[in-house]
Amino acid sequence: TARDGDRARQRALCVRQLARSSARFSSGNIAVRAAAAPVLSNLRPFSFVASSQRTRWIEQTRITSSVGVFCRQYSDLPPLTLETIQQRVMYVLKLYDKINPEKLATSSHFMKDLGLDSLDQVEIIMAMEDEFGFEIPDGEAEKLMSPQEIVHYIADKNDVYE
Amino acid sequence: MTAATRNQVLSLYMRVFRIARGWQSTLPQNTEGERQYIVREAQTLFRQNQQLTDTESIKKCIDECVARIEIGLHYRNPYPRPIHLPIMGLATQKGRKLKAQQRMRKQANPVYLQSHDEDS
Repeated sequence: TARDGDRARQRALCVRQLARSSARFSSGNIAVRAAAAPVLSNLRPFSFVASSQRTRWIEQTRITSSVGVFCRQYSDLPPLTLETIQQRVMYVLKLYDKINPEKLATSSHFMKDLGLDSLDQVEIIMAMEDEFGFEIPDGEAEKLMSPQEIVHYIADKNDVYE
Repeated sequence: MTAATRNQVLSLYMRVFRIARGWQSTLPQNTEGERQYIVREAQTLFRQNQQLTDTESIKKCIDECVARIEIGLHYRNPYPRPIHLPIMGLATQKGRKLKAQQRMRKQANPVYLQSHDEDS
């Protein structure tokens, strides 16, 4: 699905950033960098950049020169910002078939402006749970009646600074 | 329809969706189909009974939903279990026997099949 493609792309971004930073900090050999950039073939241009940086780094400090300083690669989704949360929320709402995408705005109330009922609102909240991967309890899910409120709630739950 | 029943109905709806999200079928190739069936069935039945206003029938529908959830979770089978006709058999179109038959069939209908139309 498109969502999985988005997530895969974001993870690829993270792996690329990690590969770059790990190549900078570890003066290991090419095997480390190759291990850091596993499958994605478009990472090859980065290895040239990293190698030039590596030579610069080695001139400055001699860290351990031994074989394969393996650095752990943790992968995680990129940190949420308010804009990304909003984009994702609007994207999910646009995909919902009972909503007219032209009429959708951030402050449109589900029941009054968009003409949905409470069952639809439950379905929308379920879709948000699926998208952001955490459970929204029942009592609070009922009160979320517009995309803006949903964005605020998710930002609260995930400690996204405003 | 009071606020209490409304909350109950909405939380049941959410519960069914959460069950559908984590549903694993006994045969792995049926998992996706059964998940979609659960979601679709919930949507149709809840919408069909959306307009009910008297407490009695709302309570019956809530009981039906709970019964189907429990039975489905227990037997790992989301489809409702069909029942046999009661012993009287099918009547002719005329006469008192028809009414008695219909009454008996209605009584024999279990709680988890209330929202389904009779096919016969």
